Order: sequence, then structure tokens, then C-alpha cells
Amino acid sequence: MGKEIVVALAGNPNSGKTTVFNNLTGARQHVGNWPGVTVEKKEGVCYYQGQGIRVVDLPGVYSLTAYSLDEVVARNFVVDEKPDVVVDIVDATNLERNLYLTIQLLEMEARVVVALNMMDMARGRGYEINVRELSRLLGLPVVPMVATRNQGTQDLLRTVIEVADGRTAVPGPALHYGRELQEEIDRLEKVVSGSPLASTYPPKWLAIKLLENDDDVMRKFREVGGE
Amino acid sequence: MSSSEVFKAQEDSLTRLRSRYGDDADILIADARYGFISGLTKDVLKKPAIQRRTISDRIDSVVLNRWLGIPLFLALLYGVFRFTFDVSPPFMDWIEEGFGWLSDQAAGIGGWGGSLLSDGILGGLGSVLVFVPVIFLMYIALSILEDSGYMARAAFVMDRLMHRVGLHGRSFVPLMLGFGCNVPAVMATRTIENPKDRLVTILINPMMSCGARLPVFALLAAAFFTRNEDIVVFSMYVIGIILAISLAWLFRKRLVKGESGHFVMELPPYRVPSITGVLVHMWERGRVFLVRAGTIIFAIVVVIWLLDYHGALEPIGKSFDVVFEPCGFGQWQAAVTLIFGILAKEVVVGTFGVLFAGAEAIEGGLGAIIGFELGWTPLVAFAFMVMTLVYVPCMAVIGVIKRETNSWKWTGFVIGYTLVLGWLLAMLIYQIGHAIQG
Repeated sequence: MGKEIVVALAGNPNSGKTTVFNNLTGARQHVGNWPGVTVEKKEGVCYYQGQGIRVVDLPGVYSLTAYSLDEVVARNFVVDEKPDVVVDIVDATNLERNLYLTIQLLEMEARVVVALNMMDMARGRGYEINVRELSRLLGLPVVPMVATRNQGTQDLLRTVIEVADGRTAVPGPALHYGRELQEEIDRLEKVVSGSPLASTYPPKWLAIKLLENDDDVMRKFREVGGE
Repeated sequence: MSSSEVFKAQEDSLTRLRSRYGDDADILIADARYGFISGLTKDVLKKPAIQRRTISDRIDSVVLNRWLGIPLFLALLYGVFRFTFDVSPPFMDWIEEGFGWLSDQAAGIGGWGGSLLSDGILGGLGSVLVFVPVIFLMYIALSILEDSGYMARAAFVMDRLMHRVGLHGRSFVPLMLGFGCNVPAVMATRTIENPKDRLVTILINPMMSCGARLPVFALLAAAFFTRNEDIVVFSMYVIGIILAISLAWLFRKRLVKGESGHFVMELPPYRVPSITGVLVHMWERGRVFLVRAGTIIFAIVVVIWLLDYHGALEPIGKSFDVVFEPCGFGQWQAAVTLIFGILAKEVVVGTFGVLFAGAEAIEGGLGAIIGFELGWTPLVAFAFMVMTLVYVPCMAVIGVIKRETNSWKWTGFVIGYTLVLGWLLAMLIYQIGHAIQG
């Protein structure tokens, strides 16, 4: 039995995040208020085949910019606490909107597992989702689920453990930003690699955030200052 | 490596991208993400061939287009006024005839009672009520745009522009509501999470021309810009939008500094608006106008008549009409209308109605009589319209700004800047126009 692994649950509001959290943690969950922030985050523990898993429920957000408090909370947890796996809960009936967050998690070079939730509703609407193709294009494991009926929970846990163990290789994001933008990202990535921040944060993510003029990352750079 | 080198490299990259694309990099990055996602979903997601959905996508590819988006928005806004002024005349004639008939009946009554009835109520209130069809038709047109799902797109399109001035598209939704009435518009700013964005959106909201200002524009445009009245009234709304955006930029830069919120807006599918839906919408907005006309406007008009009857209006107007001399409308009558217009903007028309009362005022066209009595030219009328658009929001809006900002300082600021700006613009329009005309 390895040491406890940490899994963060991310996802848009109303993607069924809380239901997944309750499915995973059952009665063992406890609600914790995190120091320094007013946004409540839930934390619970579960076991899968003897492996202890600490599950952290992040605030439901559409995006991971530094604009609102809940977004900052969610994002800082991913980049600062570096959970072993981030489970991104995606509403299958609203794929396009939900994947925006997925892309941003990939930019943070988190180890992401996509939990494709509400498959029943998507099917009910006549949507056909090619899960295998989605997984291939995103470069991520994708687990179809119906959280309201507790379907797919075991699959999700197995996939999470595989990813945490490094048994499932997660290739880098396939997203290309267009030639000029990509060149600027690459150029900044090189410059940023020399900064002390690069030892804590993925340089490519820092580069993208610099281009976005992200307040939080700008402040981080100002704070390290240095030669 | 020091952070200053990082910032230097960042600045270089941003400059290169801006000169290349004219957009900030964060927008380009968001575009790239969305582009990737939409390509990906096309590959993995098959939706049932519901026509509505595919039509929505096709319309969006035009409506949300980078180059077509804003011109299309302006064209649709122009369409609103074109529709309003094309359809309203028969309805207005009908109401005018009704008031004409009532005035004829009232003419028989003598004394102060007759004067109150024909000059005050029929002249004052009647001149406002004539514009009920204009207001209701504009609300119908706006409701169609809203119910069809277009207004959400307009906000989306404006997002690009608003980003440059330090606001985001969500601020645009309350601004659009201002076309109806600024009171609910100011309240709608509650949906803006970022307090600084919200404050700026409240401060600039009075620039969005409301239904109550429409009678003033319609009255003067019809009299001084015959056949082009739709363009002139449309220009008032566009001037309002331009002022709002410019002021947002200025306030964000000088007064309310700090970061701006992020914008994720869901675009509802396009729908053919239902007739009941549009009528209900129209009624919700228009009803307010009718209730105001029957209560507060009625009361104000009676007070104005009373002052007029006792010869008190002229001294009031003459005490400061000189202030408006440089704007071209330095007549005491104009000054009086502006003073009472602060109570409610449609009172500007109502006051003209009382001042130039009588059956002939309504039937002969109140606008024409203003031109004759005050010696106004189209240039003066235009300057006066801009003044009406910009100067001091009405009492109701002042009240709601105080309540929502919870600050007398910001409320006073709005009153102050609108007054100064309105006067300045009217003065510049008149002086420059005068110089050009020679």
C-alpha cells in the first residue's frame, strides 16, 4: 500500500461535482474551511483497493483566471499543492463550455482525468459522444459517468490510481495556439525558465499567464524580483 | 534571471502581438482555446440534426464575426428606429386627433379651470402622451432583438471593444437595459461580480438613452429634421454609446483603477420571438411610462401650469438662461424645460407643451412652434437634444444610483459630470456648427 494520494475535483458549476464527491467519499466526508480564504472547500477520504485517497472538492468555476476569488482558490490549489491527480468533471451535455476549463488545467500541466458526467442526459438528447476519440484528442483518460446513479465511480477510481502511479501515460496538450502566438509562448518560456519561479511552476504556463497579463502571476514575478 | 528581464520580454511579446493582430494576447489565447475546442467537439460530438441548432451556429458565424459584429449591431439599432418612426405616425395622428377634440371641448370652459384643462393637462400631458406609440414601438423592436437571442450576441460582440476600455461584455447587458429605463439598468449591475466594474457601469449608465428621453428627440427631430428623424434619433443613441464607452475608459484609467473581471457568457439558441412574449415585454417596460405619465408627470405638469399661470416661470428661466447662451438655446423657455426635465426627462416635452399650449400647439406641431417662437435652427435643436441626452439623470435614476453605490460622493459625481459634460458638448456642437455654417 502506497502513501495517501491527493485528488482534486475540478469542474464547472452544475457539472455534478458535488455528486461525484459524495459518491467517492460516502459518509466519511467532512467539511473544512480553508485558512485565508472565505470560499468553502470540501475534503474527504476514500479507499480503493487499499489505497488511501484524499479527495479535495475545489470551487466550481468556468475558468482559471485570476479574476475572482473562487477561481484563484481553485487554481492555486492545482499549481501550489500539486495534487497527484486532478479529476475534471465535464458535463457531457455541455461539452464545449466545460472543455474550456479542461484546456486550462492542461496548460497547468496537471495530471488530469476527465470524468464525463451526465452521459444519460446527453444520450437522452440524442448526443453521440466518441469517448475514445475525445480521449485521444485531449491526450487524457476519459471516464464516462452517470454520477446521479453512481455509475462509473469504480472506473474513475481505477483510472485515478493508474494515473497517480504513472501507469497511464499522459501526453502533453495537443493544443496549438497558432504560429505567431506559439512563437511568443515558446520565446517567453525560454526566458521564464531562468527565473526561480520555474522550479515551482511549469514555465510554459507562466509564459501563457504573462501573455494574459495575469495579475497573480505578475505579482509572483515581482515578489521574486532578484538578479 | 531577474524578473525585470521577464517583464521586458513580456512587453516585447505583447507589443509584437498587438501590432500584428490589434488584439490583446489574452483575447488571442482565449480564441485559440475556443478554436481548439470547437474543432475537437466537431470531431467527437454528433448532435441530432435539429435544424434550430445548426441555424444558430450559422447565424452566429456572421453575427459574431470579428469585422461584421459591430457594424451589424449598429445596423440593427438603426433598424429599431427606422421601424419605430415608420410605423408610429398613424398612431400618433390618432392620439393627436383625440387630444384636439378634447381641447375643442375644453375651449368652451373659461377661467382658470379651463386653462388648467386645456393648457396644463391637455397641452402639457398631451404633448407627452402623443409619443406613447413611439415608445411602445421602440420597446417592441428591442424586445424582438432580446427575445430572438440577439442581445446576448451584442454583448458578446461588444466584449472585444469593452475589454480595451477596461470593462467586459457583462457590463454591456445593463447598458443595453438602459435603452428601456436606467433605473432597472442600474439595478441589473448587481450581476457584475467585480465591484470596480460594477461601479464604473453604474457611473456611465445615464449615457444610455432611455425611453423617457425619446419623446424629446422624436419631437425635435420631426420638426427640425423631417425625413431624417430616424437617423437623428439613432445618432443620439450612438452618441450615448460612444460617450459611455469613452467615459468607461477614462474612469477606469483615472478614477477606479484595478483589474477587470472575466467574462463567460452563455449564448442562448436563436428563437423566433413569440408575439405574446414580445407584447408582454413591451408592456412591462411601457407600463412604467404610462404609470409615470398618469402620476408624477401629471403632477409636475400641473405644478408647471400653476407657475406659468401666475407668471412665475419666466423669472425662473430668466435667472439662468444666460448660462445656455453659448449653447444656442439661451431662451428662458428652454432653461425652464431643462430645469423641470431633471424631475423626469419627458417633462422637457411636457413643459414645452404647457408653455406653448392650446389646440394649435398640438395640431400645428409643437416642434414647429418651438422653432418659430424660440427661433431655433436645426443646429440649436441638435445641441439641445445632446444636452437632454447627457445632462443630469432624472430623479429616479439619481435615487437608484445613491442606493446602489451607497455613496453620496459617487451620486454627486454623476450629477456633476453629466451636467458639465452635457453643457460642454452642446456648446461645442453649437459653436463649431455655427463657425462652419459661417
